[in-house]
Amino acid sequence: MPRVIVGLIFSPGLRSFNRHGIIYLFIAVFFLLAGCRFSPAPEPRSNYLVVGIESNPLQLDPRYSTDANGVRIGGLIYNSLLRADERMRLQPELAERWTAPDAQTYLFDLRRDAKFHDGKPLTAEDVRYTYESILDPKSRSPKRGMLKPLDGIDVLGPYRVRFRLSAPHAPFLEQFTIGIVPVGSPGAETNAMPPPGSGPFMLESVNSGEKVTLKANPVYWEGKPSLTGLVFKVVPDALVRVLEFKKGAIGFMQNDIEPDVLPWLERNTQASVAAHQGTTFQYIGINLTHPILRQRKVRQALALAIDRDSIIRYVLKDSVTPASGLLSPLNWAFDESVPQWPYDPQKAKRLLDEVGYPDPDGDGPRPRFRVSFKTTNIDLRRRIAEAFKEQLARVGVELEIRSYEWGTFYNDVKKGNFHLFSLAWVGVADPDIYFQLFHSDSVPPIGDNRGHYRNPEIDRLLEAGRAAVDPAQRKIIYGRVQKLLAEDLPYIPLWWWKNVVVQAPHVRGFVPYPDGEFISFKKVSLSP
Amino acid sequence: MKRYFFQRLLLLLPTLLGALTLVFFLIHLVPGDPVEVMLGETASAADKEELRRSLGLDRPLLAQYRSFLTGLLTVDLGRSLSERASVSALIRARFPATFQLTFCAMAVALLLSFSLAAMAARHRASWIDRAALLFSLFGLSLPNFWLGPMLMIVFAIQLGWTPVSGRGGLGHLVLPSLTLGLGMAAILTRILRAGLLQAIREDYVRTARAKGLSESRVWLKHTLRNALLPVITIVSLQFGSLLAGSIITETVFSWPGIGRLTVQAIQARDYPLVQGCVLVIATTYLLVNFLTDIFYRLADPRIHYGK
Repeated sequence: MPRVIVGLIFSPGLRSFNRHGIIYLFIAVFFLLAGCRFSPAPEPRSNYLVVGIESNPLQLDPRYSTDANGVRIGGLIYNSLLRADERMRLQPELAERWTAPDAQTYLFDLRRDAKFHDGKPLTAEDVRYTYESILDPKSRSPKRGMLKPLDGIDVLGPYRVRFRLSAPHAPFLEQFTIGIVPVGSPGAETNAMPPPGSGPFMLESVNSGEKVTLKANPVYWEGKPSLTGLVFKVVPDALVRVLEFKKGAIGFMQNDIEPDVLPWLERNTQASVAAHQGTTFQYIGINLTHPILRQRKVRQALALAIDRDSIIRYVLKDSVTPASGLLSPLNWAFDESVPQWPYDPQKAKRLLDEVGYPDPDGDGPRPRFRVSFKTTNIDLRRRIAEAFKEQLARVGVELEIRSYEWGTFYNDVKKGNFHLFSLAWVGVADPDIYFQLFHSDSVPPIGDNRGHYRNPEIDRLLEAGRAAVDPAQRKIIYGRVQKLLAEDLPYIPLWWWKNVVVQAPHVRGFVPYPDGEFISFKKVSLSP
Repeated sequence: MKRYFFQRLLLLLPTLLGALTLVFFLIHLVPGDPVEVMLGETASAADKEELRRSLGLDRPLLAQYRSFLTGLLTVDLGRSLSERASVSALIRARFPATFQLTFCAMAVALLLSFSLAAMAARHRASWIDRAALLFSLFGLSLPNFWLGPMLMIVFAIQLGWTPVSGRGGLGHLVLPSLTLGLGMAAILTRILRAGLLQAIREDYVRTARAKGLSESRVWLKHTLRNALLPVITIVSLQFGSLLAGSIITETVFSWPGIGRLTVQAIQARDYPLVQGCVLVIATTYLLVNFLTDIFYRLADPRIHYGK
């Protein structure tokens, strides 16, 4: 090969590239490229919508999927007994009717027109099989722990099923949103495609790391979707996703878009860009075993020293809304009377003086105290951390930023190896999540009370909230929880991320869901 | 010669074993727990313990290492902890993409560097030479994470000649191959130019010219051949590292190759997948090095191996 090229360059006809040389060059290039195996160029498929996603969905089988894209794409393939609507209220899906005869029993009558993608009808046996296969220890399903309150499932007829709980457990309703698979579906120990579902779209192909293609279910019980299909294209780089959109190779994106590029998208493309209130909650976690941070006034001073509005405006370009706590305004248990911590550096300084951390040299370089702040090595996270550092320095607190690769960072957080860290809770639905995060019994490894927060009053309320079944009573209980936590500050609330939807002008009918679900693709159409 | 190659071939095995052993223990030292990744945050401690036991992760590290080696002997790389597939199936799905990109990037690099170096050497100190050196300087200075998006903006967005990213037809290969190939071409151009300039001053070249050989024969047979040895070393090293997956280029161009798979496996602490990827990468690297030795002999018959 090099001979051919060099032969071209040094051939007697070098100065005027001879005809034979050019032929040699073409032959050489042809053989080089022919050595590669090419897959055929993807044809633009008619009436298919291409959705850009950041990462490869890991599991689509609803018994195993926990990654965001796996859950969202799986939600189009599988139906569940209940499903949250666009206002986060649980609505019947496969259930035609459902009742709770007592606090420990749920009775479901299934739709009779629901069929799996292989044509078999979906029955109560399939529902029982799905849940029992999750409970089987051999299945290694990550959802097994969530079904712990389940005592048994009884099939009362081909389309009637009863769930019995061992004790009243109001948050169990969330578990009825698990997708249903047919009896006999193999577990994760197989290379086979995920089992068929009964949802509006059927799985056509999975190309690991590349794309997942779905096609419309022609006999879907709600009617065949308008789209012929959907292609979820994996484009890991945020900038490249935007370029793909500009080129027209992607018609839809949701979230995972750098805030900086949103104004550019609006100026340079015909994209419709819309931001909707989301439920993902960003916070600063605090280690309450730290001798300084365990003092409530110190935590309050830190909350007062953070200028959220500036960060939201200049770093996050209004892609978030300031948060008062874990539950977003979309949650039925949200208490709007809980105040947000304002930016008040003077008050923060006074509080720190009061608790015995005076500034040793006024505006000089010596701090009142020094704490570390852990975050991931993602550029946006580091920029936000720099803003915190600068803002806390104004009240005399030195923040030492430590950014790590995700696995290392998360491991430190779970082990309590931190002073301060920032993370987000995604998919917050039932307020029982407070139990997992702040109950004294939820200290790792059992729960996620990573800051070791202990408050007997909170414990009592969270136990009452879990046992109560009446939503009105639960709302009162969790309202009290929200107020207490806003005062006590085991977390410093930062913001709720908006769901940012970018779609091409020909995409019609997408309804955003607070948790970023894709289910409304079943109603989406493409205008010519 | 034969004996030498046979010895080298045998040496591949302990080298491979060394690399795998190192990675096995290193990945277990890195903070993070695959059970946490698999079961999520809501799993009970008992469930996590049970899964740890069923995966054999509760056993002493040396016992796990023994099982890993036994698996290797039976060509069983195990199952991925994060995806619904066996490790070998995932690697089989991704490796062709990396191979394709590597091959085309090397083609770009060889075409460019041989042409530029030869022209630069032949027209030394001319504007052609300076342009080739300037190209080389730029090629070495521009990082792939910048060059990739720039090429996309110009060729895919402004001119509309190529797709932006992804794997598919020939068009999809152009930009990632250029991105990877330009950097390599820059290094090769410098080395080959220097080698050619050194060789052309040698006495045997003067003799060849005095014998009345044609200029192309002088350059091809007497100059280029003698300048090739360092180039072969660099090409083989680069070829090996490209086959190990170019993580940045694969990420920028959404190219579903082995590099991205390895990063994904490390992030998920998917031990079997990490080990499987390393096995493939190390084997490839060693084989390429082995082949390089053979090429050395072909390029320079004076080289003798062993007695």
